[in-house]
Amino acid sequence: MVVVMKERASESEVEAVIAQLVEQGMDVHRSTGASRIVLGVVGGGKVDPRLIELLPGVHEVVRISQPYKLASRTFQAEDTIITIGDLRIGGDEVIVIAGPCSAESEAQVHATAAAVKRAGAKILRGGAFKPRSSPYSFQGMGEAGLQLLREGSNAHDLKLVTEVMDANQIEVIGKYADIYQVGARNMQNFTLLRELGRTRKPILLKRGIAATMEEWLLSAEYILSGGNKDVILCERGIRTFETFTRNTLDLSAIPIVKELSHLPIFVDPSHGMGRRDKVAPMARAAVAAGADGLIIEVHNDPDHALSDGAQSMFPAQFDRLMAELRIIAPAIGRSICLEPVARRGWAR
Amino acid sequence: MAPELTLEQLREEIDKIDEVIVRLLDSRARCAYTVGRLKHELGRPIYEPAREAAVIAHVRQVNDALGGPLDGDAVARLYERIMDEARRIQRIEAERDKKNAEAAATKTEG
Repeated sequence: MVVVMKERASESEVEAVIAQLVEQGMDVHRSTGASRIVLGVVGGGKVDPRLIELLPGVHEVVRISQPYKLASRTFQAEDTIITIGDLRIGGDEVIVIAGPCSAESEAQVHATAAAVKRAGAKILRGGAFKPRSSPYSFQGMGEAGLQLLREGSNAHDLKLVTEVMDANQIEVIGKYADIYQVGARNMQNFTLLRELGRTRKPILLKRGIAATMEEWLLSAEYILSGGNKDVILCERGIRTFETFTRNTLDLSAIPIVKELSHLPIFVDPSHGMGRRDKVAPMARAAVAAGADGLIIEVHNDPDHALSDGAQSMFPAQFDRLMAELRIIAPAIGRSICLEPVARRGWAR
Repeated sequence: MAPELTLEQLREEIDKIDEVIVRLLDSRARCAYTVGRLKHELGRPIYEPAREAAVIAHVRQVNDALGGPLDGDAVARLYERIMDEARRIQRIEAERDKKNAEAAATKTEG
């Protein structure tokens, strides 16, 4: 439930309400808004909302009917904005993550990082531990791959996101990455989600290929309930009867999640479509539908990629897409990866 | 545009369009800024009349296909102003760059 305090509630009144809730076994998340204070209340304790409503300074008590609490819009009305250094995710600017499916070599990581940076991407993606459908497929470079990805992102002033497949990888990946990605196959790996809830790095949570939006938000709830408030949801396609595309990219998730939750939502058109020639139209549609960001596979030489070559864009295609997105974003009142302008002249 | 819209509604639409135009002008100005930097590195002049003529020809062609109330000359006049501003951005940056270089040179001499 959510306790909304009166506009002029005093600090001691707020503290008294929190004390009472804590005493009854609840966890309280306080958010101080522009005009009033709102207390989010979760936990296993038994609280009678009517009694709380009678406490001094309380404006109203709202019961949250959704099974997810911390992830819901009722709990937090304002959009969550995640800050990583000077990067803001979930704000006015649409953020683009791009890079190869997996780290393969130093040359490949550097060439791809340089290409995506030039086009305007802010975050590098790339896998070191790959969850492949077949045990005989390329499984990733492991920690050596993480090191290459970190060097590549540092060299081109990019942040880094990489997938964590198992709780025992959290520590090693944490040494290199800025964002942990939870893949579609792991969306309901609750042990992993709980462990990630204890970390303090943002989590990019992909939607499972057979997950409903409610199940997806409940997975986010696992991370949020551990105290990690920085969850980015990522739509990547769901399994339907259609076989022409790899999955059916569910763009309807964007406006629905925006209504149900305050968390930022990204779209991965590469995995959703599985074919590079279909990535750009869906990326454009995602931005038009209000996505906070995109994650796109780009490879400096897709024809020789060790994984997902068919869905990886050529750098030139990615350049073209970014130029198109810079025209689409203003139509819905947003900006996207603008050409940065140095503050004092262009002399370097 | 449907004529049954009220003055208020039409003005709201114009405000929305202006928001998009200003954002796109911002993107265009950022591009022009980077073009200026590249010209500077390549030692090319800020004013390139052939390029400006090509830009005008291009926007005239885009506009012709629309068949709206703006004629080609009107679009050309608007674009002359836009390119004036782009050149101005490039000139200010080049002057600042020159001044910085001179300041650096004096420092080394002293």
